[in-house]
Amino acid sequence: MPEIHSTEQLLQLIALSCAVLSLLIGAWYLVRRPHLNQVTKSMLLLGLGVFPLIVSLTGNIASFEYTLTRPFCGSCHVMGPYLRDAEDPKSNSLAALHSRNHKFGETSCYTCHADYQMFGAITTKQNGMKHLFMYLTQYAGTGPDGEGGPPIHIYKPFKNAACMQCHSTTAKSYLERHGDNVEEIRTEAVRCIDCHDVVHPLALSRRPGAKKEVVK
Amino acid sequence: MKHQTAKRMVFYAVIGTMVAMIFMGATIIYPHPLLLVVAMSIGQGIAMMSLALYLLAVALDLQSQGGAYIPYEEPVAEEPAPPVEGDGPPAA
Repeated sequence: MPEIHSTEQLLQLIALSCAVLSLLIGAWYLVRRPHLNQVTKSMLLLGLGVFPLIVSLTGNIASFEYTLTRPFCGSCHVMGPYLRDAEDPKSNSLAALHSRNHKFGETSCYTCHADYQMFGAITTKQNGMKHLFMYLTQYAGTGPDGEGGPPIHIYKPFKNAACMQCHSTTAKSYLERHGDNVEEIRTEAVRCIDCHDVVHPLALSRRPGAKKEVVK
Repeated sequence: MKHQTAKRMVFYAVIGTMVAMIFMGATIIYPHPLLLVVAMSIGQGIAMMSLALYLLAVALDLQSQGGAYIPYEEPVAEEPAPPVEGDGPPAA
């Protein structure tokens, strides 16, 4: 019996159990072909209605939770270098430093790259659909790390607000280090990653030999 | 006739649900982005259509048995029986 450590795992277990029950009821109907009496109809209502509904609900939540994790982000081959660097215990890149921070857990990619607004989760997932489309249309068969494809670039400039979710610009230690530029940082006139620029050192666009982006 | 159609519809609904369940179950075991998108959009669509088909089949089946809708009929009011002579109270 596998141990359950999180709500996500519990939801996955519920979804899987209900899917199996629904499949069993379906198989029973297909094999036995019973008369459509009250019992058969009730069984089919469970198998075709109640259990699939539970699978949908729990499966959606569990899947959404999984899409926030680093292994999911790295499951497209073009993300390989990013994932390897983020999980490298010797790397000093921003991605690796933040991934090692236990407060980020497995969700280091999502925490920094999700839109920080009311419907941020939705707009982020919409962009995720765009990623999937680009992956299928532009990076299929482009090598193990997608090196034959166009360089990967971020859709919009990385906002300081993402950093300021955790790094308060009013903290004493922050002001000691950034006192001269704090207003520019708050107004996004100066970007955090202008100075802290070792973010993804193994990024596709930074590696020699990568196909260069054509600027029109 | 309607009963046979209903049985065929239930058959397709069961097949559809089973396909959807396989998709969704596979996503939970192997959550690859493409499979996840397919399962959570097409898979759920198939499951919903299968459920609708099943409910329609049940409605059809009930209709064929005449048990789906029983119209309410006003009870016919009985006319009072005409008084029969000699039925009155006995004379003193």
